[in-house]
Amino acid sequence: MYKWLDERLDLTGLYQKVLRKAFPVHHSFFLGEITLFAFIVLVLTGIFLTLNFEPSIREVKLPDGRTVPAAYASVLYIDSLPFGAVIRSLHHWSANVMIAAAFLHMLRILLSGAYKKPRELNYLVGLALLGLAVVTAFTGYALPYDNYAVTATRIGYGIANSIPWVGTTLAQVMFGGEFPGSEKSIPRLYSLHVLWLPLLLMALIGAHMAIMMKQKHTQPRYAERVAPGRILGVPMYPQQLVMMGILFALYVGIMTMIAGAFLAHPIEAFGPPTPNTPAVKPEWYFLWIYGILQIIPSSWEFRLFGDTIGPEFIGGVLIPGILGLVGLLLPFVDTRKDKMRYMELPSEHPVRTSVILALLVFFLMTTLAGYKIDFQQQGSILGNNAVLWTLVLGGPLLTYIVSYTLLRIFYGKKEEEALQ
Amino acid sequence: MDEREIRLQRSRRRLFLKAAIGTGIGLSLVSAFYVGASLRPKAEVTPEKEPLKPGDILVYAQGGGEPKPIRPEELKPGDPFVLAYPMDPKTKVVKSGEAKNTVLVVRYNPEELAPEVAQNGVEGIVAYSAVCTHLGCIVSQWVADKKAALCPCHGGIYDLARGARVIAGPPPRPVPQLPLKVEGGVLVAAGEFLGEVGVKAEAAFYRHV
Repeated sequence: MYKWLDERLDLTGLYQKVLRKAFPVHHSFFLGEITLFAFIVLVLTGIFLTLNFEPSIREVKLPDGRTVPAAYASVLYIDSLPFGAVIRSLHHWSANVMIAAAFLHMLRILLSGAYKKPRELNYLVGLALLGLAVVTAFTGYALPYDNYAVTATRIGYGIANSIPWVGTTLAQVMFGGEFPGSEKSIPRLYSLHVLWLPLLLMALIGAHMAIMMKQKHTQPRYAERVAPGRILGVPMYPQQLVMMGILFALYVGIMTMIAGAFLAHPIEAFGPPTPNTPAVKPEWYFLWIYGILQIIPSSWEFRLFGDTIGPEFIGGVLIPGILGLVGLLLPFVDTRKDKMRYMELPSEHPVRTSVILALLVFFLMTTLAGYKIDFQQQGSILGNNAVLWTLVLGGPLLTYIVSYTLLRIFYGKKEEEALQ
Repeated sequence: MDEREIRLQRSRRRLFLKAAIGTGIGLSLVSAFYVGASLRPKAEVTPEKEPLKPGDILVYAQGGGEPKPIRPEELKPGDPFVLAYPMDPKTKVVKSGEAKNTVLVVRYNPEELAPEVAQNGVEGIVAYSAVCTHLGCIVSQWVADKKAALCPCHGGIYDLARGARVIAGPPPRPVPQLPLKVEGGVLVAAGEFLGEVGVKAEAAFYRHV
């Protein structure tokens, strides 16, 4: 049998070329795999959810007599199926894990300098994947059409709308009309969420892995000591595949347990949309943008080429956009030729490491600012805009200085000794 | 045939190929733009999406069941505001399909109101658009100690007794007031909103349509 197939499909060639690929073993290398597993689980649970979800806001009658949008009713129905709520929660939590794991994966790449030549391309593909994952999660958020999700998505619509010159058209195309209100919104968001964006994600994930196969992994530090100039790692088949299989099983097991224990987004409790706006907070990965919007004063508004540049655009689009652009340009600025094959130790690059830490503190502080209203209601000093601005700007700066100084003191000497 | 001729012939083939490919790509791009035009939805106005008109009766937005017009005596000074939709007086269609029609109605003691605000109200009852001018959420919470309205999305607070002046949070301008009158014992819109409803960019879009 094997021989018959081999003669026709050249399985031995495939085995030698692909399945013997060396995978370096390092705990931080599993972050990308976890992202992939989360994506696989998302696709599988998502396909299950489409069986019963109805992408429409036409009014339907529930068995208890209430009239609610069809999308809301269909998600209530999914929740009432055996394990339906668990599958929906698994989908929800996996989306969170995918974004978190992709972010940590990116941090690993940044901290170890793995974005440098020749890996610029794959780094860009990775950034695009993180961005697309966030957009995909956002388009899925409104689908259950409960009061909370609709209000949160309405804010996203407002931000898209605030982009000067093209924002109105962009928001109309993305949301299929005004959100909420248009009957076309949910079908359009649904199409984007289950078809366009996942296909795009799959294509980019394929490219991400093909480039990684071609260029091979960066090597952990120990490989340089053990066998300099050679590629170290376990072969894809059987060792790496066994490890991946175990990790995948572990992922599914743990996530299903979490999904069973913690119901995600309780739409029954939020209820169908009413004019009574609930106090909403976005998902944690949007909280930092939400926080920036909270502390930008409404006076940051001016006219440019016939349209208004407002605080929503500055906080919701411009600042995240600039961060993204800096990320995109990084490998073209940092063009050092050393250690192209090996991971770099964060401690040996105090400037880069300190900037990344400062960026993390920036995210944390702007997230903190996202709780401004709550702080104000408690009468806490953190409700004060000036205090929050100090934290958002001063926190990262202080982090940079402290981190740089510490790295210089504790690791700087070692570097000098190594040079001699 | 000598080499020159062969090259010439080949180059002509090249030219033809390039022209064919170019035409193909060009035509597909043009048709793609044509299809792309349908990405933008058509604005369809159904009766419940009609904009608010003077003479519309204000009915409670919440509570469900039959539309219930708001009677002045049901509102007490100091009570939280109520949310309302306009109802066409002839067809009895509640215009709840358009979020921009959401109105908030509140009663103050007449002496609490600024004169220009009281002028457009009736017996201390005033109405405003409930669409926050920041990002379009519905202003839905009552701040009892300030007698003001709070938008829960980003914490904008409007002082309803002073023309919905923004006293906290990010909204760029007040929500516009709606002139009121009493007809047949119920509240009725006496005119259009006294300003642009909702976020400015959206208003600009609807002018073009």
